[in-house]
Amino acid sequence: MPVLVATVIGLTLIGTTARDVVSGNPEIATAATVFCGIFVQALPFLALGVVVSGAVATFVTPDRLARWLPRRPATAILTAGVGGATLPGCECGSVPIARRLFGDGTVGAAALTFMLAAPAINPVVLIATAVAFPGEPLMVLARCIASLLTAISMGALWAKFGQPRWITRNLLRPTQQQDSRFSTFTEAARHDFLQAASFLVVGAAAAAALHVLVPSWMFDHLAGQLLLGILVLAALAVVLALCSEADAFVAASLSMLPLVPRLVFLVVGPAIDIKLFAMQAGMFGRAFAIRFAPATLVVATTVATGVGLLILGAR
Amino acid sequence: MSRETENALLLLVGMSTAIIAATGTYTRYVKPALLPWLWLTAGVITALAVIAIAGDIRTGPRHGKHTGHDHRAGAAWLLLIPVALLAFVVPPALGPQSARPAVSDAGAPRRPFPALPAGHAPELSLPEVLIRLAQDSAGTLNDRLITVTGFTLGDGGRTYLGRVVIVCCAADAQLARIALTGAAAASAAALPEGTWVRVEGRAAPGELRAESVVRIPQPANTYSY
Repeated sequence: MPVLVATVIGLTLIGTTARDVVSGNPEIATAATVFCGIFVQALPFLALGVVVSGAVATFVTPDRLARWLPRRPATAILTAGVGGATLPGCECGSVPIARRLFGDGTVGAAALTFMLAAPAINPVVLIATAVAFPGEPLMVLARCIASLLTAISMGALWAKFGQPRWITRNLLRPTQQQDSRFSTFTEAARHDFLQAASFLVVGAAAAAALHVLVPSWMFDHLAGQLLLGILVLAALAVVLALCSEADAFVAASLSMLPLVPRLVFLVVGPAIDIKLFAMQAGMFGRAFAIRFAPATLVVATTVATGVGLLILGAR
Repeated sequence: MSRETENALLLLVGMSTAIIAATGTYTRYVKPALLPWLWLTAGVITALAVIAIAGDIRTGPRHGKHTGHDHRAGAAWLLLIPVALLAFVVPPALGPQSARPAVSDAGAPRRPFPALPAGHAPELSLPEVLIRLAQDSAGTLNDRLITVTGFTLGDGGRTYLGRVVIVCCAADAQLARIALTGAAAASAAALPEGTWVRVEGRAAPGELRAESVVRIPQPANTYSY
């Protein structure tokens, strides 16, 4: 606590100097502004997410969730994927919710499917995609199908290969009998916010640094290249860490590229990017994130390419 | 890290969110439409902090062991970074150099746009002009005098009128620009790079034939949406 007080007093004293340094150096200023952009944009979704996850901690126990979900694992994962469409938010909010819903076996697979599906196929994101691609209604269909397939495949993969020992971060579970529902709710929401927001800072900082470092001439060399475009845009979706409600507009502006790479960009971005990786490492544990995130990237890229070639054709 | 420090950091994040909402600096980072949500977020975070602090004062502090905090070696200190940036440093809005140039989507189908408002030279945003040039089949811009504001931008010997466009937040910023030609283009070229101007002119594919260029102070909100 004394350290914090000293830091805040220090900040008040050097605030003006720091401001001059930042605005005098265009690259630092851009990175700082992009960082603030990602953080501030994510904050409301994170607040919504931790309110929901607090409610989950209070009212939904893993046993209860297991009773609600269909018995057969395949049906349960499918239900979770389609259920993702009901949460209109960004990807940052769905990580703490999925962590709360996470349980053994089928419940875990369903929670991860929900985490990947919710930010990608909710109505707000699909409408934004339709607005960004006015002449290509098939793009919306392709995005919806490819994202849902990615989420379901990852859920199925987890059900088959996932190991509970990779989950090293423990949750604050309501253990004390005397805690009221209200205090269970606020304690869970407070705990999840601190954990998720801290790792959001890591992810947003990495994305801001890469923003300044990825040169824009890169785009000029990609015109008309299908395979190279797919690989570069998958990588770009990871490093730029855009909000899933905005990525369609960025994809639309990359009009020198064929449609399939742009679909890959839209499917990979909400499923995995650098800030989500940091948040997954923070909420689930490093052992989980270093396995789950690359697998998601490969599955999302492959599924989006396949669905894109089928629905949109090689253009 | 102690529970008190965590609560204090939580409170600081809530206060910083309230500060950027109250002072309007949030428009440098996100869309104005997010304002009510920012207030709500500030309220939720501050409430979580205040409830935890009040609860600890009432019942005595909870200890690390049973709240499961023992293996988190102070990741929450990272929250000082956004607090320092948002409340103290306040990074400036993105300028001409920092946004990626956007490529206008020439592939989009043309459709008729609604007519421009009546009057001498109706005010249009730069992205609106570019979209109408690329997609309008009704020719609403043909031979109409319009007013467009933006900053000057030199590139390859030509002077452009530019505007930073954001969709969601500063991370997706793109640069919209149109070349200035015509009688008044020379006076725009004489201004230092990044000067804010109001241009009256006629738009044609790829250019804005300027008839008058007036220097204006930088607007409070520099982005276009």
